[in-house]
Amino acid sequence: MRLRAKHLGLRLSTWAVLLFLHFPIFIVALYAFTTESSAFTFPPPGLTLEWFEVAWNNGDVRDALSLSLRVAATATVIALILGTMAAAAVWRRKFFGREAVSLFIVLPIALPGIVTGIALRSAISIGGIPFSFWTIVIGHATFAVAIAYNNVAARMRRTSPSLLEASADLGANGWQTFRHVLLPQIRPALVAGGMLAFALSFDEIIVTTFTAGNQQTLPIWMFTSLVRPRQRPMTNVVALFVVALTFIPIVLATRLTRNTEGTTG
Amino acid sequence: MVTETTSASRLDRISGALHRHPRLRLALLLGLPLLWLVGVYGGSLIALLSQSFFSLDDFSGTIDRSLTLETWGDLFTDSNISIAIRTASMAVAVTIGSAIIAFPIAYYAVRYAGPRLRAVFFVLILIPLWSSYLVRVYSWKLILAREGILFWFVDKLNLNFLLEAALSAPGIGGPSLSASALGQFIVFTYIWLPYMILPVHAALERVPKSYLEASADLGAKPLQTFRTVIWPLAIPGIAAGSIFTFSLTLGDYIIPTIIGDSSPFVGLAIYSYQGVAGNLPLAAAFTFFPIVIMGIYLYVARRAGAFEAL
Amino acid sequence: MTKRRILALVMLVALVAAACGDDDATTGGPMTEIGDGEGAVSIIAWAGYIEDGSTDPAYDWVTGFEEATGCEVTVKTAATSDEMVALMQGSNEYDLVTASGDASLRLISGGTVQEVNTDLIPSWDQVDPRLQEAPWHFVDGKHYGVPYQWGSNVLMYRTDVFGDTPPTSWSVVWEEQTLPDGESNAGRIEAYDGPIYIADAALYLMAHQPELGITDPYALNRDQFNASLDLMRTQRDLVFRYWHDAFIQLDDFANEGVVASTSWPFQVNYGQFTGVPVASVLPEEGATGWADTTMMHADAQHPNCAYMWLDWSLNPKVQGDLAAWFGSVPANLAACTGNELLTDTGCATNGEGNFDQIHFWKTPQADCFGMGGECVPYHEWVTASVAVIGGR
Repeated sequence: MRLRAKHLGLRLSTWAVLLFLHFPIFIVALYAFTTESSAFTFPPPGLTLEWFEVAWNNGDVRDALSLSLRVAATATVIALILGTMAAAAVWRRKFFGREAVSLFIVLPIALPGIVTGIALRSAISIGGIPFSFWTIVIGHATFAVAIAYNNVAARMRRTSPSLLEASADLGANGWQTFRHVLLPQIRPALVAGGMLAFALSFDEIIVTTFTAGNQQTLPIWMFTSLVRPRQRPMTNVVALFVVALTFIPIVLATRLTRNTEGTTG
Repeated sequence: MVTETTSASRLDRISGALHRHPRLRLALLLGLPLLWLVGVYGGSLIALLSQSFFSLDDFSGTIDRSLTLETWGDLFTDSNISIAIRTASMAVAVTIGSAIIAFPIAYYAVRYAGPRLRAVFFVLILIPLWSSYLVRVYSWKLILAREGILFWFVDKLNLNFLLEAALSAPGIGGPSLSASALGQFIVFTYIWLPYMILPVHAALERVPKSYLEASADLGAKPLQTFRTVIWPLAIPGIAAGSIFTFSLTLGDYIIPTIIGDSSPFVGLAIYSYQGVAGNLPLAAAFTFFPIVIMGIYLYVARRAGAFEAL
Repeated sequence: MTKRRILALVMLVALVAAACGDDDATTGGPMTEIGDGEGAVSIIAWAGYIEDGSTDPAYDWVTGFEEATGCEVTVKTAATSDEMVALMQGSNEYDLVTASGDASLRLISGGTVQEVNTDLIPSWDQVDPRLQEAPWHFVDGKHYGVPYQWGSNVLMYRTDVFGDTPPTSWSVVWEEQTLPDGESNAGRIEAYDGPIYIADAALYLMAHQPELGITDPYALNRDQFNASLDLMRTQRDLVFRYWHDAFIQLDDFANEGVVASTSWPFQVNYGQFTGVPVASVLPEEGATGWADTTMMHADAQHPNCAYMWLDWSLNPKVQGDLAAWFGSVPANLAACTGNELLTDTGCATNGEGNFDQIHFWKTPQADCFGMGGECVPYHEWVTASVAVIGGR
């Protein structure tokens, strides 16, 4: 009996937390349909589909969305490559400075984004580098590496080194071992790390403000539009659109990581 | 065909060489990531710190690039120190709050939920990460407003006295939830919560079922099992999550501009010294606060095993 | 050992940066002719200052320019003068800025903006003579920009709270008192989030504590400055939030029970347009105000398009539409007649006759603008205002 009751408490609090996490998203969805153009009030005075049309026809939104997607994709690829290399280097080996290396890799996410942002900004201004697509990518990849590294390193820690020895014994070279033995092992971590890195980059504004110049990523577009009448309801439409767009990849990725987890665990 | 065999044999040779020279392999693997992090990131940090030895011309607002310690002298004023303390306290509160909220859901997902339900949880926790942070913060502004959604429900339920009591609490209250420290706490916790749930979930997932069975077999009560087996194994996860929640709160400059009574936070102060006042030297010097606070925090978190669980 | 090495490295980088940073601004005077447009121009402006019809299709003075010149306009909105200065100094990615008097002189003395050749601006002769050689853009016989609009800060209030007795004094935002609806003003007023707002405190003291001897709210000696800060500190307890963004302020009036604040005519107009019950007055103490100048970056990337915009910005249609939209007064008085949106009484309503009563924003200077004595310089205004907002 007592166990049941406790169970119930746990279940209730779980659903309460999920409600807490999703209620604001529900509000975002609701106000995508409001008839108000600037100051929102509750309950909304009326509902309309107008903003979907306005958003659809807005070139700025499309440009910003496309820039954000390209930045996030590029930063994620760079991060996965660098993060995997670093994780492989640190794995199974003790070398001088190993601790320092792992600390340094984590530093960009451990230090607040504003520090990263303003540091990159100083480097950009001292070096006289013009703002471009790549200045944004560099900013994002810097913290995304840490995410990729963490995921891959955690996975590698749980991978038995004997697998690699077996592969070598069977005559596989380093590349073949990586391709056929290690890669399948770390694939879930790459998917999870890549997803998280992509999501962080896609929604990043703190660092981007300092490295974008007057380019508009989606969050920067949102930031200026949220305080502009007629554009404010549009931001809700766009946010909703992004959630809908990402829902399927999230579900698929969860499937993928779960399944492999199941077979190896 | 020919090229394939030669390239394959070349690959063989390279991989053989790498196998024989672990140091070379290490250097190759580590070279590029380190070049990036030390070159780009470390270089930028040094560039940033170097800015703090410049000063700002009072009138024209241009940066005077002659070396001086003047800016550092401007840093340690009462008002700046109180900004650092206010921010660090909020970061601690948010971290503790998220840990308390994250634990039950992670625990429930790992211990009691079936694989299907667990996948549903996972998706539900990930979705907020994908829906724009800014838009969600603004929706909180409406939720917490004096004539907003929460007040509307509270009013319908005749619970106004509870809310008024919370708002009249000294230090955390204010004229409206959206203009109070309490409101800031709620929004910060909300925004960073997934970053706590994920590592805690991952840490709990690694607790082998056999441990729990063994503990039960040895006659431990559930509470005892929790205290002696689960909790110690969860700590690295919480520590890892806390690095996110702490650091993200420490550096955020957007939430304090939208929610709260305009009292400056570290991120906001740095942002406005740089972006609003154009005083990059003082902004650079000001990063000293988050760097030192984070340094101390990382030291503590590392001892709790955070880096192994990130 | 390592610590010392890092410090040495830091100092070295600083030295290199110092050496690199010596970009000498030897510009050879203003342009003498306008070439072909570069296809783009980017402008830093106040919210609502440059409208392309996306807020309200009737208010659009960008599309016509783009069609006429082929220069695509991008606008970066800034909320304070300091932000404008910082953005302009940050890089040359912006060609133009609509700078108020508390930014313009800083931009000129920092070498951030260039001299403008008024011969290249056909509409120049139409500029209000009171503005043509105004000290906030005319320095050493050179023009550093083209006047855009001017106006006064106003006291915005909720009509449902004040009813038939609109406030007549700034005291509703400076001193705790009971409002017409029977409740205190504590937690129901807002203040402006910028160091220049200290001048509003000084202006209030000018009327209410004449013994302080304040004659210019931007030239304050130490005692006058401290008295103003004391007033700011007592106000801190009444303030709901320091407003930074025009639309967020409007949000607060609509949703948060804020009932009075210093504001711009723009928020009042837009609030009324969207159904927020607000109105405004110019209180008896007078008001601070702004006179804005469009200035060009010293290293502007699109100088030809920038010149074309400068001329376009003076066009009576643009000036009149903007004045109607923002609640400001045109720099080209020809706009005051025959504009549909502004109507013929618009200029008077927006305060065209108040020019001499407004204390226009200007950057405080240590030499009290040459009037003698010692004044508190602007950088102290900045730190003091951060401290006051932080509750110190």
